[in-house]
Amino acid sequence: MAQFSDNIDNLEHWQTNRRQVIKAAILTGTLSQLSFLQACTANQLTEEGNDLLDANQVGILKSVMEILFPNDGNGPGIDDLHAFEYIMWVLHDTGSYEKYRNLAIEGITWADEQTQKNQQKNYLELSQAEREQAVAHFNETDYGTEWLSIILTYILEALLLDPIYGGNPDGIGWKWLNHTPGYPQATEELRYENILKTVRAAYPKTES
Amino acid sequence: MKYDVCIIGSGAGAGPVIYELAQAGFNVLVLEKGPWFKTEHFTKDDMVATRRAIYTPAFKDEFHVLETKDADGNWKAVPTHESRTDFWNGSAVGGSSNFMSAYFHRLKPNDFRLLSEYGNIQDGNMVDWPITYNDLEPYYTKVEHVVGVSGAVVPHKHLEPRSTPDYPFPPLVTNRISDWFTAAGAKKGYNVIPAARGIISLPKGDRNACYLSNYCGSFGCSSDGKSSSRAALINDALKTGNVEIRPDSKVFHLETNEKNEIIKAWYYDLAGLKNSVEATLFVVAAQAVETSRLLLMSKNPSSPNGLANNAGNVGKNLIFSAVATGSGFIHFDDFPAEKIAEINNPMTFVNRTLVDFYEIDDSQSGKKIKGGIIDFLIEHSNPMPKAVKNKKDGDRLVYGSEFKTKLHTYFTTRKKVRFEAFTDWIPNDNCYVTLDPEQKDKWGDPVARIRLGYHESNKIPGEFLAGISKEILTEMGARDVSGAVSTGPTVNLQAGGCRFGNDPKTTVLTKDCRAHEVPNLYVTDGSFMPTGGSVPYTFTIYANAFRVAEKIIDQLKSKL
Ligand SMILES: Cc1cc2nc3c(=O)[nH]c(=O)nc-3n(C[C@H](O)[C@H](O)[C@H](O)COP(=O)(O)OP(=O)(O)OC[C@H]3O[C@@H](n4cnc5c(N)ncnc54)[C@H](O)[C@@H]3O)c2cc1C
Repeated sequence: MAQFSDNIDNLEHWQTNRRQVIKAAILTGTLSQLSFLQACTANQLTEEGNDLLDANQVGILKSVMEILFPNDGNGPGIDDLHAFEYIMWVLHDTGSYEKYRNLAIEGITWADEQTQKNQQKNYLELSQAEREQAVAHFNETDYGTEWLSIILTYILEALLLDPIYGGNPDGIGWKWLNHTPGYPQATEELRYENILKTVRAAYPKTES
Repeated sequence: MKYDVCIIGSGAGAGPVIYELAQAGFNVLVLEKGPWFKTEHFTKDDMVATRRAIYTPAFKDEFHVLETKDADGNWKAVPTHESRTDFWNGSAVGGSSNFMSAYFHRLKPNDFRLLSEYGNIQDGNMVDWPITYNDLEPYYTKVEHVVGVSGAVVPHKHLEPRSTPDYPFPPLVTNRISDWFTAAGAKKGYNVIPAARGIISLPKGDRNACYLSNYCGSFGCSSDGKSSSRAALINDALKTGNVEIRPDSKVFHLETNEKNEIIKAWYYDLAGLKNSVEATLFVVAAQAVETSRLLLMSKNPSSPNGLANNAGNVGKNLIFSAVATGSGFIHFDDFPAEKIAEINNPMTFVNRTLVDFYEIDDSQSGKKIKGGIIDFLIEHSNPMPKAVKNKKDGDRLVYGSEFKTKLHTYFTTRKKVRFEAFTDWIPNDNCYVTLDPEQKDKWGDPVARIRLGYHESNKIPGEFLAGISKEILTEMGARDVSGAVSTGPTVNLQAGGCRFGNDPKTTVLTKDCRAHEVPNLYVTDGSFMPTGGSVPYTFTIYANAFRVAEKIIDQLKSKL
C-alpha cells in the first residue's frame, strides 16, 4: 500500500487515521517495518496507545520490559536499544509466530488482573518496588514465566539482530557483547520482508 | 514438450543427477518447491536465517505431524505448528545443502555389511547393502573433486580404502583451539585428526574459496565456498543450456499409465495453479520424508497404495543419525593471556574428529559392536541462539540485572567447546512415514506423519562416545563439562523410507535406485539407505547420486 508512506506528509490526517491505516496495512499484509516506524514514534505510542495496545497496556509493557532488562549501567537498556518500538513492530508482523504475539499482548492484561487481585491496585498504580515484586510473582507461575520469556526474547532480538530491524542501533548490543557480526550484513532489499520479492524478481525468464 | 528427465527437488540428492545428465546432453527439467536464491541473496542476517520462515516453509502453510511416545508409552501425534518442532531443513534451489555445515565423512566398508559383521539387534531391521564400499569409492572421489571437499588424510586404524592419497583441497584455516583438542586427545591416548568439510579452501571455476565468514551452518554461503548442490553442481549444469529450473513448483502427484510408468508430474506453481509436465524418466529427491510422502500421495489405478508401494514398503525404515552431544567452557581466566589470545577470536572452524571408536568392544555383551565418530566444535557465531539459551537456569527464567550479568559473562569471558558423536540409528518398525489422515497443507494435501521410534540400543555406543568426548574436553581444561545421548531424531539428517535391495518384496528400489515396480522412476536422495552408518549422510548422498546418474544415462541411452 504505497500511499501509506505518502500520506505521512499530511500529519493531521494521518494521526486521526493511524489506527485504521495500520490495521488495513496488516490485513493486506503490506505493513513493512519502515512504514510502521514512520507511523508511530515511541512517544506517541506511549501516550496514546495504538491499534493493538491502549495507553495502560503500553505503560505496563514498558515497565515490565525495564524490569526484565534494566538500565543498570551494565550495557544498554530498553531505550538505548529502541526495544519498545521493536516489540511494537514484532507484534504487528504477521510473519512472526502468532501464538507468541497473542500471548505477549494477552499477558499484559493478565498482569494487570494479577495485581488487581493480589494487591487491589492496577499495575501502573504500584510503586517501582511493588512492580518488581509483582514481576517476580508472575515468574512463579507457568503462564507468567511463558509470557515474560516471550517478552525477553523480543528484547534479545532488539539487542542482537541486525540494526536494520530497528533495534540494536549502531550495533550497540553487539559491541556490548564483543560480538563480531557476519558479512555481508542485511540490506533493505534482502531484509526478511523483502527478500523473497527480490529473489523472485531476479529469476531468469522462461517460457513455462 | 517432453523432457528426457524430470527431477523433483534440487538438493544434494538431485544435484549430481542434474549435473551429469546435462553434461551428457539430455534435457533436464527441475521442479523445486522452494525459491531460487542466488549467491548474492545470502547475508548473515539471523532474522532471515533463523528467526523467520524464509529458507523453510512457514508452519501455517506446511508442517508435519510427529508421533512420539508419551510417559505411559502410548504414541501421541502432534502437529509441528503446535509443538514448534520444525521438521524442515531448507526449501530452495539447492535444498538444505545451501544451509548445511558440511562435515563430510565417508562411510566405512563395514557400514555396507552391518548384518553380516555385527548380527541383527532385537527389534532392529539390520541388513547388508546390495552394494559394497568398493562400488561407491570412485564416486566419493568424484564428489571430492567435482563438488569440492577439503581436508587432510592421515593414517588411522579405521581409515577407509582410498583411490587417491588425499583430498583435492587443503584443510581450511581453523581456530587454534583445534590444536588444544588434538593435544588433549593425545594425552588421553586418542587420535584426534583433521575432519574433512564439503567446503573449498581454494577457488574452483566460478566459485570463490571459503572466506571464513564464521556464519556457516544455517546460513547460505556468499562466496560459493560451501559445496551446495546449487553452487557446486547446478550452476555449472545450467551452462550447458540443457537444464530448466522451475522454482516455487511443488509436485503433488506422479501420474502413471497402465504399465505403471510415470507419464506426468503434477505440480502447483506460485499462484497455486495446477500444472503438469511430461518426461521419459522421473527422479525424486525431495529429502527422505517428503520423497516417501510424494510416492504415498501418488495413488494411481496401477498403484492404489501409492507409487512403488504395491509391496507396502514405502516410508518404512526411516532413519536419522543417533547422536550424543555435549559441551564445556574454556574460562579465559583459567589460562595465561597468551594462550587465550590464540583462541579468543571470531574464528569458529575447528575441523577435528575422532574415529578411533568406529568399532567398539561392548563390555556388557563381550562382543564387538558398531561405534561411531566424534566431531569437535565450538559454538556457532550467530548470537541469538546463544542469548536465548541464557534466559533459563534450569526451569527458572532469569531476568533483570542478574540476566544481563549472565549474558555479558557468557559472551565475553569464556568459549563453549562442544562435541557431536554420531552412531547408527537402528532401523526399526516404529520409525516410518505415512500420510496423516486429517491434517492438510495449504494446498489441501495430506501432510507427512512421522513416527519417531528410537531404538534403545542406540544409546550403548552413544554413551560410550560421550564418555570419551567428556574426557577430552576435561583434559583441555574445560569447566562444567556435560554431555548425553539424545533420543530425538536429527531433523537435518534424514535417510531411508525407500530402501534399496535385491528383493522387491522387502525393498522399494533396486540396487541402482530404480523403483522395482516403476520402470522409469529413480530415487536419488538419502531414501535408499537401509542403514545409515555412523556419520552424517550428505557425502554419501552425493556419491550415490553420481553413481545412479550413470545408470540413468544408460537407461536413457538404451531408449534412444
Ligand atoms: C543446518 C544444517 C546443517 C547440516 N550440516 C550437515 C553436515 O555437517 N554434514 C552433512 O552431511 N549434512 C548436513 N546437513 C544435511 C544436508 O543438508 C542434507 O543431508 C542434504 O542436503 C540432503 O539432501 P536431499 O537431496 O535429500 O535434500 P535437500 O538438500 O533438502 O533437498 C530437497 C529439496 O526438495 C525440495 N522438495 C521437497 N518436496 C518437494 C516437492 N514435493 N516438490 C518439489 N520439490 C520438493 C525441497 O524444497 C528441497 O529443496 C545439514 C543440514 C542443515 C539444515
